Amino acid sequence: MLKRFNELNFVIGLFFLMVSLVLLGSTFFSKNLSGSINIYTGIAFLVFGLLMILIRQKNSSGQ
Amino acid sequence: MTLTIADYLVILLYFAFVIGVGFIIKKKIKTGNDFLISNRNIPLWITSLAFISANLGAQEVLGMVASGAKYGIQTVHFYWVGAIFAMVFLGVFMMPFYYGSRARSVPEYLALRFDEKTRGLNAISFAVMTVFSSGISLYALAKLLEVILKWDFDVSIWVAAGIVMIYTFLGGLTSAVYNEVLQFFLIVMGLSPLVIVALHDAGGWENIKAQLQPEMTHAWKYMGNADANPMGLHFMSLIFGLGFVMSFGYWCTDFLVVQRAMIAKNMNAAQRTPIIAALPKMLMPLIVVLPGLIAVTLMSPALQSKGYSIPLAEDGGRDFTMTLPSLIAHYYPSGLLGVGITALLASFMSGMAGNVTAFNTVFTYDIYQSYFIKNKSDKHYLYVGKAITVAGILFSIGTAYIAKSFNNINDFLQLVFSFVNGPLFATFLLGMFWKRTTGHGAFWGLLCGTIAAAITHGLTLAEGKGGWIAPMFEIKSGMGQAFIVASVSWTVNFFTTIFVSLLTKPKPDEELKGLVYSLTKKEPLANVKWYLNPVTLGIILLAVTIALNLYFF
Repeated sequence: MLKRFNELNFVIGLFFLMVSLVLLGSTFFSKNLSGSINIYTGIAFLVFGLLMILIRQKNSSGQ
Repeated sequence: MTLTIADYLVILLYFAFVIGVGFIIKKKIKTGNDFLISNRNIPLWITSLAFISANLGAQEVLGMVASGAKYGIQTVHFYWVGAIFAMVFLGVFMMPFYYGSRARSVPEYLALRFDEKTRGLNAISFAVMTVFSSGISLYALAKLLEVILKWDFDVSIWVAAGIVMIYTFLGGLTSAVYNEVLQFFLIVMGLSPLVIVALHDAGGWENIKAQLQPEMTHAWKYMGNADANPMGLHFMSLIFGLGFVMSFGYWCTDFLVVQRAMIAKNMNAAQRTPIIAALPKMLMPLIVVLPGLIAVTLMSPALQSKGYSIPLAEDGGRDFTMTLPSLIAHYYPSGLLGVGITALLASFMSGMAGNVTAFNTVFTYDIYQSYFIKNKSDKHYLYVGKAITVAGILFSIGTAYIAKSFNNINDFLQLVFSFVNGPLFATFLLGMFWKRTTGHGAFWGLLCGTIAAAITHGLTLAEGKGGWIAPMFEIKSGMGQAFIVASVSWTVNFFTTIFVSLLTKPKPDEELKGLVYSLTKKEPLANVKWYLNPVTLGIILLAVTIALNLYFF
């Protein structure tokens, strides 16, 4: 797992994953309806983050 | 604009990740070449995104949104005329010389092709320009944060510069390049929601066209008459000044961007780096020009209810530089606001790190190793590179404070940079494609081109600037003046280089192999798959660029 920190796409994926959690978490705790843009962006960041992480995993297993 | 815990959390996460990347890369740095030129082992997708990100500084992002609001869709000319063609030309025609010559920098290529004095002239002017650019960018960022967030000017400068220093000092060029890719995604993904929401609010592209004057939404239609378009430019001066002289001068010769292609794993990847980078560059107006157009549309009478307006400047006019920050403040709630601010921070940091890493390579190899201490161990140059990184950042901080004290110094330095950059492409064009070009020709051409730029500026007056010799010619816009200055300097350099070259002795052909087009063996590309072939990719990109120009004609 630690070795994966050497892969840039993993680092980028992890970053967006964590930012998405902040966005989704802030909307959940604030209960503010104007934060729907936070939810959509949070989901988009979550998907992008996972994609960046998973694409590489597929490549790694193929090597 | 007030930030909450969620916003600060996003900013802190970003800081932690960019510094973390520095620590990860640090383990791989063993030699001077690892630190300064990444030992030419960076994958293509990373070099391509870093290539585009090094150019995506804070002034680029804020400036293009401001330009979009001020000049409308004609701002896309900086991309579809002033970038793509030059990037394709760099990939197809120039990278084989930069990469194939094994030069570690652009000035080193000049030393191989011409002589030491030409290298010295280019290296010194480039080193000074990068460090001052970095400082001006730092000043702009701190000033912005002071205005919109009420952050302390000194704290912003030292924190932002300190973080760039940590990760560039730890991991050198590789660390800067890796972070540039992270920064690229952050800028694009951090600003995309803004474009989507604001575009929806403005009623879509059709409503923008309906609300704005037609010259704001047509890229070429009103360029036949300089008085009929917001930029005040005729299409011929745009094509020659921006599309040829300035664009090719920047994208094909500026080591800041060319360095990202020079660290690719092999020649093919080096050639494809600027070409692949041209794809996101082509789409960048969606992120940085469209918001400006949306902003002015939102201020039209029909959309007054949206409650948005571009802030006013001290003189009572619109402060277009604040267009993007004001849109972020208007549309982004807590959480996403942090993402937007982090995107601005990222754009600044990618620009500054790009400048610093180009500066330390040129200073170490082209000035220190060439003129001061030769033939030392690799470890010695590694330490020098690290010391220069710290010195470069401290110089940048110093420049930022000078800019704070003397506001006009920004304009002055930008002006000097344009004098130096304007004629440069003529030197490379002749050097790479005419084997008769000599070192003396290149040196005097560069020098005369720069002097011609200064004289042209001194004789022309635009928006109250220039005319310091005698205001003989009045030009409608500052941008038009910049294009004319660049065009004159390029032409003077071109003909001076030819004239002096014909009077002086050229290098023998044997010494020019791999440095000049006619004396370099061409790799056959006929059997290469289309997506690996730089020529095919370049043609596709050019076709799409022409189609975009026609669609938004």
